[in-house]
Amino acid sequence: MKTKNIFKYLMLLFLALQLNSCVSTEAEQKFDETPTERLNKQKSELNDLLLSPAEGWKAVYYTDDSQLGGFTHLFKFLPNGRVDMASDFDADTDIHNSQYEVQLGSTVSVVFTTKNKIHLLSDSNNSPLAAGKGFLGDFQFLYYGQENGDLVFRTNRTVKEVRFVKATAQDWADLKKNTVSNANMTGDINSPLFRILETKDGGTVKKYEFNFNSVTRFGLAAPLEDGNAETLKAAVAYTPTGITIKPAVVVGTQSLTDFVYNPTDKSFVATGTNGATAAIKFTNAPPRLTEDYKIFLEGGPQITIGYIAANLSTAATNSPYAKSVLDKVNATLAANQKLARVQIAFNDPLNGNYIAYTFNGGKATIYHFFTTTEDAVNKTIILTDDGWLGGTVASRAFLKVLDDEITNPKGLYLKKESFTIFYTNVIYTYASAATPFRLTNYRF
Amino acid sequence: MKLIKQYKKIVLAVAIMALVSCSHEDQPTETALDFTQPVKTDLDKWIDQNYLDPYNINVQYEWNQNVVEANRFLYPPAIEKVQPALEIIKKIWIDSYSTIGGKDFVKILAPRDFVLVGGVNVNPDDVSNTLGLAEGGKRISLFQVDYVDKKSRASVTRFIHTIQHEYVHILNQTKTFDVESWAKITPNDYSSNPFSITDAAAQRLGFISAYARSNYTEDFAETAAIILLMSKAEYDAFYASITVPAAVTALKKKEALVVQYYRDAFNIDFYALRDEAQKNTTDVLNN
Repeated sequence: MKTKNIFKYLMLLFLALQLNSCVSTEAEQKFDETPTERLNKQKSELNDLLLSPAEGWKAVYYTDDSQLGGFTHLFKFLPNGRVDMASDFDADTDIHNSQYEVQLGSTVSVVFTTKNKIHLLSDSNNSPLAAGKGFLGDFQFLYYGQENGDLVFRTNRTVKEVRFVKATAQDWADLKKNTVSNANMTGDINSPLFRILETKDGGTVKKYEFNFNSVTRFGLAAPLEDGNAETLKAAVAYTPTGITIKPAVVVGTQSLTDFVYNPTDKSFVATGTNGATAAIKFTNAPPRLTEDYKIFLEGGPQITIGYIAANLSTAATNSPYAKSVLDKVNATLAANQKLARVQIAFNDPLNGNYIAYTFNGGKATIYHFFTTTEDAVNKTIILTDDGWLGGTVASRAFLKVLDDEITNPKGLYLKKESFTIFYTNVIYTYASAATPFRLTNYRF
Repeated sequence: MKLIKQYKKIVLAVAIMALVSCSHEDQPTETALDFTQPVKTDLDKWIDQNYLDPYNINVQYEWNQNVVEANRFLYPPAIEKVQPALEIIKKIWIDSYSTIGGKDFVKILAPRDFVLVGGVNVNPDDVSNTLGLAEGGKRISLFQVDYVDKKSRASVTRFIHTIQHEYVHILNQTKTFDVESWAKITPNDYSSNPFSITDAAAQRLGFISAYARSNYTEDFAETAAIILLMSKAEYDAFYASITVPAAVTALKKKEALVVQYYRDAFNIDFYALRDEAQKNTTDVLNN
């Protein structure tokens, strides 16, 4: 191409560029204000809103409602960047003061900048789920606006919705009661071993085996009827009167969330209309009864099972109540003596049925003979006294606390377990039908 | 040629037009961003007086998501824990180096930024914790600030260990140590999984701690930092407790390289620095 032509085309190109270069910059304005102005406005709006309610804000913070429950927090934001805070995370429901800041980043957020109760959910050193993850908590909340007077946030890291609702003086006064509800829901060593969730919709009753983890505040309800295959999840938060659960339990057409504690039978009951209820109850009877006890009855084969302290004292299936009973027995013995075994022989051709209490430290074995009967309705085996061997009545008195549990008149739920401990021997557990006593045994 | 000249003129004209053609836009006015400085608390003022003004070191104790790892579950320190922790660092670390290395030693050679974290930084292995981080010689992150107990020697020593260790990294990043000689002492026992053995087992291999087995740099920092945490008597007892003669020889060679490094690179008598740090540690515990 000739130089002349190159210049010609170049000129044409310049001309074209020149014509285009001054295109109007007047874009259609979607908003009256610039993005910066709008962010600034949102920032001051959030600042003012946080400070405005006389009694501050309340947030029931579910860090992940698919595996953890809710933790109630109360905030009173103060004008100097300080905040008073209380929560029901642990027994300390007192008000603590720390700092906060409304920050402008990708969006406007409120950040609790020095340690307070809310940070307990983000402590890598206290992780009930995955190592180092704490309770999956966040303490920087991105502001998403208002809804019916509530402040709607999303957590910074996990993008979970958190709502601040206006708190009342009653909320602050009642926070301590949440810890009482917590204790009622958690139970203690005297609480029955099992729990069921029972829903009633008129005549329709559905039952679930309810397993609750009091640390994560999360429960799973497995259906007990054949026709019902739906396992329910329950993220629990404590209230002054009981618990609230997420998602709601659907009873007929009603969704029930708020359960009230009934101190008489220690149940938590949610009541809808037209007799619809959902109740969480403690029970000594296992939700799934077995007939594993049958082979131990009179006329069955010779079987011996035994609790061996050396191998089974730390088994998870020993109930805290049973451990306390064993401790009581050991406490009465000399310093060098300890209960070694509680061995139960059934249908021994020579000696019949007997419990053999053996000891470390040279103490002689004590035998308690018994006969067996069954409670076919409740599916228990009942061990009835048939005389003792070894020692005097007075010298055996220390065993009564333990022996009474095993020979209680309501009987024992005997269960063949599917796990083994240390040895390959089959594990049997027996649980009292009268108390939360459950002990772990090898089958010999 | 004439044509080209003509075009040259046109090009010039067009260029001028291009420059002036869009000059009618509005001039920027004052910024809409909020640059008001937050009100300083008493703690902020104390930090200014004791860290920022004399040593040009900034301290971040309020949560700033940009300076911590987002996938670790950490939290900021409790407000009342900040000053005691900083006092310990000031006394045992800054004052010791200032006395022995010269008044402006730390001012010239220091991290510019401290990040304080209240909680424990549990590593994904669920066995070990990260106690501190030194990033690019500029920033030191210190964890477990809420756990520091000024009345407990063990607690103070553990906390100051982190800063002593990280500061050795910063010194190394300024002037490197004799890596070649160091590499010859215990060449075969470094490991990518240093916590697979105990401190005592590592000492029998010629390392001052288990973590020292990570690599040469960590080994050097651990060796220097741990010597600075002990009195002479404690250090002698430490040597005496190691029953493997080869390990003692290795540790003494490493100690000699540390002493040489401090002398050659910074003209610091390392043993005087250790004694000063000990004196200041005792002062912290007694006040």
